[in-house]
Amino acid sequence: MTVAAPPEPILPPRRRPWGIVVLVAVVIVVIGFLAFSSIGSALVYYVTPSELLERGNAAVGETVRLGGLVEQGSVEQRDSEDYELSFVITDSEASIPVVTTSAPTASFREGTGAVVEGSLDEQGVFRATQVIVKHDENYEVPASGTVPSDNSYLPGE
Amino acid sequence: MKTRILGLVALAAVIAATAVALFVVPPDQNQGDAQRIMYPHVASAWLAYLSFGVTALAGIGWLWKRDLRLDAVAHSAAEIGVMFTAFAIWGGMMWGRPVWGVFWQWEDPRLTTTALLLALYVGYLLLRRLSDDPERRATRAAIVGVIAAVDIPIVHFSVEWWRGLHQTATIGSPDRVLNPAAPMVFVGSLLGMLGAFTLAWLYLMIRRYQLARAEAAREEARRMDRIMTARTVEAAR
Repeated sequence: MTVAAPPEPILPPRRRPWGIVVLVAVVIVVIGFLAFSSIGSALVYYVTPSELLERGNAAVGETVRLGGLVEQGSVEQRDSEDYELSFVITDSEASIPVVTTSAPTASFREGTGAVVEGSLDEQGVFRATQVIVKHDENYEVPASGTVPSDNSYLPGE
Repeated sequence: MKTRILGLVALAAVIAATAVALFVVPPDQNQGDAQRIMYPHVASAWLAYLSFGVTALAGIGWLWKRDLRLDAVAHSAAEIGVMFTAFAIWGGMMWGRPVWGVFWQWEDPRLTTTALLLALYVGYLLLRRLSDDPERRATRAAIVGVIAAVDIPIVHFSVEWWRGLHQTATIGSPDRVLNPAAPMVFVGSLLGMLGAFTLAWLYLMIRRYQLARAEAAREEARRMDRIMTARTVEAAR
């Protein structure tokens, strides 16, 4: 009587794709994080001047993003050793003066939308650490003779 | 042969549309030359919508007709869509730095929902590799593909629904279609780029589908091979 040969593996064993399982888990966590962060705070990407002033003294010192239009005729720049830029952000109902030492991009101009990050000080001046220019959906061919925006903001030109 | 001609025509169209965007169209008054990035950016975003829409429809088709060719279409579209989503995000970042002043803002709804779109379809592609049973894989992928497609309208209308940094649509929103907020020279160049990119998409889809079918045939041949080997071993006992 012969002893039966040990059974051969009939099909190659299935690989256990743990690497892929881990990757899928990572993707799910990332999606969860994105979903949470967009529901949590993106619904108010910025507050308007009216909304910020409504909060009264509670708003002082709190880091927020303030969005609105750069008021016509309000931009002033001090071009000394310590660069400082000041302008007024308005939503046509309320206005807040903004002071910053951060230079915005070339698309910054009076009348354009802007989002500034920083906080209100006790004098009611918004100290911005960052100025983001909000471009709108309008495109425009430069009028003949005008120079389209370059990569530096030069007021008074 | 016909596919090759399509590929050459698409390549010529993309080169022509790129040349127009780079050398013919004037710079924008406010954005300057950064505006030229908008053409491939918007065209890529359109192809992302198109691709993931096709993935969802082909997924529904698989669940309904049980035809694996539809699953191959869904797979091809998802892979190409991931590529164009990544390209749209990258181009957008290259535009955002000179115009906004920042590459990225997590709290902007358009940016965040687009990042989510990319993550969803990378997840879809990973999920497809979890199973080596073609039918089970197709069913799982179809379900995820349909659920993930919910994000497409959210991405598109995020700029209308929520306050954010990203501008609203210049031509793609319902009240703008016949009344775009841009001069015709910009709109015409954009339409040209959209057409060129869509031709290129069609070519890529056909080639990726052919590849998917070849992969499926090889997978099936290997499976048959394993079964035959197993039977031979069994018979030899």
